Formats: sequence, C-alpha cells, structure tokens
Amino acid sequence: MTPTRKAVDVNLGALAEALEKKICAACDYLDAAECRPERCMVAFARKVLAFVLPKGVLDVPGASQLIPATDFKVYVPEDVAAALAETLRQCRECRDNHSPDCVIALTRACLENALTGRRIDYPGSVFLYLARLREQDPRLAELVARELRHGTRPED
Amino acid sequence: MGEGYFKQRNGLYVLDVMGACGLMTGEQFRGLAAAVAELGVPAVKLTTRQTVVLLVPEEKAAALKAAVESLGLRVAPYHNVVRPVMACPGSADLCPRALGNALALGQALQERYTGQEVPKDFKISVAGCPRGCTEPYCADFGVVAAGGETYNVAIGGFGGSSRPRHGELIARRVPRDAVFAILDHVLERYRALAQPREKLGRAVERLGLEAFLPPAQLLRPAEEPDPVLLELKAFLGAPE
Repeated sequence: MTPTRKAVDVNLGALAEALEKKICAACDYLDAAECRPERCMVAFARKVLAFVLPKGVLDVPGASQLIPATDFKVYVPEDVAAALAETLRQCRECRDNHSPDCVIALTRACLENALTGRRIDYPGSVFLYLARLREQDPRLAELVARELRHGTRPED
Repeated sequence: MGEGYFKQRNGLYVLDVMGACGLMTGEQFRGLAAAVAELGVPAVKLTTRQTVVLLVPEEKAAALKAAVESLGLRVAPYHNVVRPVMACPGSADLCPRALGNALALGQALQERYTGQEVPKDFKISVAGCPRGCTEPYCADFGVVAAGGETYNVAIGGFGGSSRPRHGELIARRVPRDAVFAILDHVLERYRALAQPREKLGRAVERLGLEAFLPPAQLLRPAEEPDPVLLELKAFLGAPE
C-alpha cells in the first residue's frame, strides 16, 4: 500500500497503475472493438496522467473542462473505490488552495462521474471529503474508507 | 523620494539594499560580504520584502552605498514611492507549482515602476500560483499567475496596519502586457484621487473600486488558452 499522504511528494504512477490494474483490467471492453478511449472517463484520466508525468506538473489550467460527458458504461463500485482511494492517498490536502485542474482532482472527478454521474465538490481535505461522500453515497464512502484502511497495491 | 537609510536606536544606520526581486548572484553576495567585512558592518538582515538591510556606522554609510552600487545593486527607494517588488521564484525553471513566469514579471515591474512617486508607499507582489507565497492579496497591487502568460490582478490590499485589508480582484486571466497597462491606470487614478499619505486600499474604501478600474478592454481575458492546455488537447486528440 502506498502511504496515505505525504506533503513532500506525489506518486502519479501509483494513480495510473490503480486505474489500469483496478478498473481497465476488469473492464469487459478491454482490448475489444467496443473500447472507446475518447469516451471513457478512465482512459481520459490515464491519458492526462501520461501527459503530465514526464512534464512534472500537477496542474493544467482548464483541463477539468475536458472531462468527457459521454461515458455511459456501468462501473463496479469496488473497482472504482480502490482507484478513488488512491487519489486520496496522493492528495496533498491543499484546502483553500485546492484546484479542480489538479490532475489528482481531475482523476477523482472522472471516477465520481463514472460511478455516480455527478461530481462532489472537493473540500481540499481527505477527511472532509469522506464525510461529504458519506452524506451522498454511504456505501461508496465505506468502500473507499475500507480501501484506505486495508487497501492493497494494484499489483497485489 | 527618499532612500532606505534609517537611524537605529543604537546610533547605527541601516541601508536597505534591493536585488532583482530577492535574486542576487554569487558575485554580488561575495561583494556584499567583502564590503561588510571591510566597513565593519555588525549585522545583515533579510527583510520581508526580499531586500537586505546592512547595519553600518554613519560615517561609513556613503562608502557602503558606493560598494553596493558597484555590485549592480541599489539602495531601495523609500517614502511615498513604489517600493521594491516582491516576486516568488515562479518560472519554468524553478517552482514546480508555478503557472506562469512570476519572477521575470516581478523583475520587469520593479525595473519600470520602483521609485515612482505616489501618495503613500505602494507595494507590488507577484505570485506564480494561487497559493500566493508572496501574499499578493496583502499588496496594493497583487498579481497571480493564472496559466500560460495570463494573470489575475487584485488591488487595494495591505497587511502592515492595525486594520489590514485584502485586495479586491479586478482582472482575471489578462495577458502580461495588460498587467502593465492596468498598473499604469491604477497608479494614475491613485495619484489623481487619493489624499496625501492615503493608502490605495483606503482610497478604494472611500471612493469605491469603480473609481480605480481601468477601461473594460484592459480587463478582457486573454483569448489564447494556456499553451499546456492546448498541448494536452492535442495529446488527447480533442478539438481545440
């Protein structure tokens, strides 16, 4: 399991890995003709992470406006919860300075959209987010909290 | 206009020395160190405005000033002037959080405006991202990089007061050139409308923000999106 949060560093690779191994690997459309990366929330998040990784930037102003709105696939909450938990592990808890264009926030928004069809206004704090998530989707909140407590690395 | 040259309680004087928004070369530091040793400067202090103050006996102040100027540095102007500009290290080479070239913009603003006379000392702060390490909302004129070469501008803030005040945002995502034009306008209005020794923020409270706002065309956001966003769109295969 990656550390819950360290202010000094962010492991975007772990985030990309969680998306790939927890969600894409379990997707019925993986390597199938029906796979449409341009319409897929997870493919979008993975591409954004692939874009920023070599650049060493965390924030792309305006990127949150590019999240696709045409992904109608059904996602498994347990799979998404694992990746969602990874976004929280990587979150730097910027509080007032939270930016929706931060690639970690972008990934989390994609996962929320994929699962619930709506975004949760992120308060810049993992604890406050979990409280907010619990109000809106208690089951998902419990899954994410369990992942944070006992989560495994994507390859496990 | 005065200079940053003040008598202290112990009878010594301080000389307030400004670099390029806090940036000095090794040669300048070595030169300062040599002058400090040669002229018997008992203490050197870094200031909140990214300048350096040197404590010196009065009779050696002129020699110290000459040494400072020979290094390409200068004694900061003081007393009802535009003060040395504060800027964070925001740039493509330094702070990884930077959304724009704050340091170069701060240096350019300092070059053009520092020392200009105004009703009351006028502080400019430039930050490379909304985290605002240079506290742009506590400056008379605060600039915050907003991606690409665009900037948000706030006016009327100040922190050094028993009644501090946050600046008010007047421009979002304006291009770099507009920052200079907006500052020209704000300074012109400030000189025309403020009472003697009245801070810009107090003048804004008294007269309303509108009295200091530049024409709408200067506040128009940059039409060109962030180049990194354009690059991301191309990477994603999304239409521009």
